[in-house]
Amino acid sequence: MLEEALEHLVKGIVEHPDEVTVRDRTLRRGRILEVRVHPDDLGKVIGRQGRTANALRTVIHALGGRAVRIDLVEAPGLR
Amino acid sequence: MTTQSESAVTEPAAEGEAEATDTESRLSRLEEEGDIAADYLEGLLDIADFDGDIDMDVEGDRASVSIVGDGLANLVGKNGEVLEALQELTRLAVTRETGERTRLMLDIGGHRAARRAALIELGNEAVEQAKSTGQGVRLAPMSPFERKVVHDAVAAAGLRSESEGEEPNRCVIVYPA
Repeated sequence: MLEEALEHLVKGIVEHPDEVTVRDRTLRRGRILEVRVHPDDLGKVIGRQGRTANALRTVIHALGGRAVRIDLVEAPGLR
Repeated sequence: MTTQSESAVTEPAAEGEAEATDTESRLSRLEEEGDIAADYLEGLLDIADFDGDIDMDVEGDRASVSIVGDGLANLVGKNGEVLEALQELTRLAVTRETGERTRLMLDIGGHRAARRAALIELGNEAVEQAKSTGQGVRLAPMSPFERKVVHDAVAAAGLRSESEGEEPNRCVIVYPA
């Protein structure tokens, strides 16, 4: 559910929603939701001083992902 | 641009009409903001399996959207921090669609409404205190939204108030008449 929620939240705020993918990865250090967005949208999902990224984290943590890390990265090869 | 301002000058009679249309288009723009916000939030509620209904309204010059229902405390968070985060994201979703900045207000589970009522009471108490002591009353630091609620309450009671200090310690001072 968390990755679906995160995908929905991100898709709604970017210019290229079709390029958004969320990967749920469990590493030794814990669970990570890795969000890939179009390079032009990376600044948007991070926001000024990380404001938007923090808002995304706050909401996902509130939905039960207290210990989940969220990484925002550029989708490769879209330039 | 030039043509528009010229016609405004040469045809003052049409001004009232233009104003009415302006109000109408402003209202429909705010309603559109509410619709976009509701879609975005409804999607989240579905995915996260929350039972909430969405109310939409226009309050003054902003769109207002409320998620109402039970069991929404997690979406409000401590001191409303999740609510603020969701409002931020919702505004971005609206801006993505309209291309314009929005001042849309989000409330969840009546949190803002309850906070507003408490702040109005606080403002009224400060008014009474300022009147009876003849001295300014300094309130605790508040967010811009909270200060605005207090300023409005003080003004409604006929006194004057100002904000002082720097964020996040900026606070309201209520002055005696």
